[in-house]
Amino acid sequence: MNSILQIKNLTKYYGKTLGVKDINLELDKGEIFGFIGPNGAGKSTTIRSVLNLINKTSGEVLFEGKTLDKNDTDAKSQIGYLPSEINLYDDLTVKQMLDLHEKFFDKDISQRRKELTDRLKLDETKKTEELSLGNLKKLGIVLAFMHEPKLLILDEPTSGLDPIIQQEFFNLLTEEKQKGTTVFYSTHILSEISKICDRVGIIKSGRLLKVEPVKELIDKSLSYVTVSSKHCDEIIKDLNIEPTAAENNTVIFKNTSDADTLVKTLAKYRIDKLYIEQASLEDIFLHYYEQEG
Amino acid sequence: MLKRELKVNFKGYLIWSGVTILMFLVVFLIYPSIINGPEADSINEMMKMFPPELLKSFNMDLASIDSAYGWLKSEGFVFILLIIGCYAGILGSNILLKEESDKTIEYLGVMPIKRTSIVLQKSLAGVVYIIGITAAVGVFNFIGLDLSGDFDKKQYIFLSLTPLLSCVPVFFVCMFLSAFAHKTKKMLGISLGLVILSYVFNTLSSLSENTEYLKYFSVFTLADIRNVIINISVNPLMIFISLFIDTLFLCMTIIRYNKKELV
Repeated sequence: MNSILQIKNLTKYYGKTLGVKDINLELDKGEIFGFIGPNGAGKSTTIRSVLNLINKTSGEVLFEGKTLDKNDTDAKSQIGYLPSEINLYDDLTVKQMLDLHEKFFDKDISQRRKELTDRLKLDETKKTEELSLGNLKKLGIVLAFMHEPKLLILDEPTSGLDPIIQQEFFNLLTEEKQKGTTVFYSTHILSEISKICDRVGIIKSGRLLKVEPVKELIDKSLSYVTVSSKHCDEIIKDLNIEPTAAENNTVIFKNTSDADTLVKTLAKYRIDKLYIEQASLEDIFLHYYEQEG
Repeated sequence: MLKRELKVNFKGYLIWSGVTILMFLVVFLIYPSIINGPEADSINEMMKMFPPELLKSFNMDLASIDSAYGWLKSEGFVFILLIIGCYAGILGSNILLKEESDKTIEYLGVMPIKRTSIVLQKSLAGVVYIIGITAAVGVFNFIGLDLSGDFDKKQYIFLSLTPLLSCVPVFFVCMFLSAFAHKTKKMLGISLGLVILSYVFNTLSSLSENTEYLKYFSVFTLADIRNVIINISVNPLMIFISLFIDTLFLCMTIIRYNKKELV
């Protein structure tokens, strides 16, 4: 079995308000899975449901093939979580917070702790309430990573980090991936997805719109096509598309069908000019959002 | 976790114990001048003017306030029960809920620890501090009484234990109620209201036969101070009921907390 986390038909309602509906996902061991969507799309609801911080209305979450129960301490010790907003015990210093964290785990994690605090240049003498947003995030990263979990769940992990620490963080993620750690990476920053993620899931209004390898999503799914031909009207009808611009026998449209279908359709007509431009991840993301209304 | 809870609540414990002890320190300092002064007779005369039911409700029919111990047996323990009751109520309503109010539950909730264990360890810390404040006030008053003159030591020891019978249940009831809330502010009012209402019921229940039934709605009935003063013993039934309420509400809190949405 290669999957470490399975989310099956996850639905969450807050009273009558929909949080997420019928989320189905499977995360493979050692992959970095990007989970993207704007604020309020249901990213945090999904994560909190997975972690059993909130109750699922229906559905199931499996960790290594076993139902992930809120009282399953073995499974919980294999998961590292970095929330988008970090709230820790204000009365403790960074050192005391890390000491407390160590005590929750049965194994010796002091070596990894030292490696991470050195690497992220974390000052252990300060009280957590005195930490800047960036330093608090660094502490959150150390807390999520230091017990060497099999699954890392990261919610908006780079917010507040300066570019140097951000790069260090991405290096850290790459090393974790090489070690076989699975990462569930929730963000609304598209460049991060294309930079480090293997697959991406797009969520909107509580529904998972698409799950695809990042490379495939960029390569195949969407292109901008400009066609100059006397048969523009027929081409539009044939491809069943809505052009984004049309004038003087030239149409520009978004193509979501595969290249083979596009070329075979266009081959039926005389084409004067043809430009096919690859869409960026931003365009793809916006396309899915517009398409789903 | 237990160690952390003890540390977090230590400051509150010191403040509540300190203020209570300070109050009794003032009593021990000024009481000799009152009972030896010219007003002593007029106070006793004034007491005779009160209806017997009212005197009974404050145990003044059993103890004269012409000595520090007499005052402690009657009015003194009213304050002790109320103060420790309020402390237990606030502690009970805060001890679980503070994690949610401070949003630290998002950290604690994903740690490899069972929710039942969270409730048990926090409960234990709470009970330790209720015993702690009862012991601190009890020991301080023992020393104060010893310096003030002669008193029935056995009766006093039993009396000083009585707050545990009513205040530990207050702690568990408030902790259970807090398992339905998400904000500490709201719960603070509810828990203090509950303690005061419970005390009022207990006082009203001894005023007349018509209101006697109210004692069944008050946890302060469990303190059973009158019985301790008269018989110099603690009614085992009260201990049993107190422990039963503690266990019942602890179990209900565990069940509820395991189902609760934490964020």
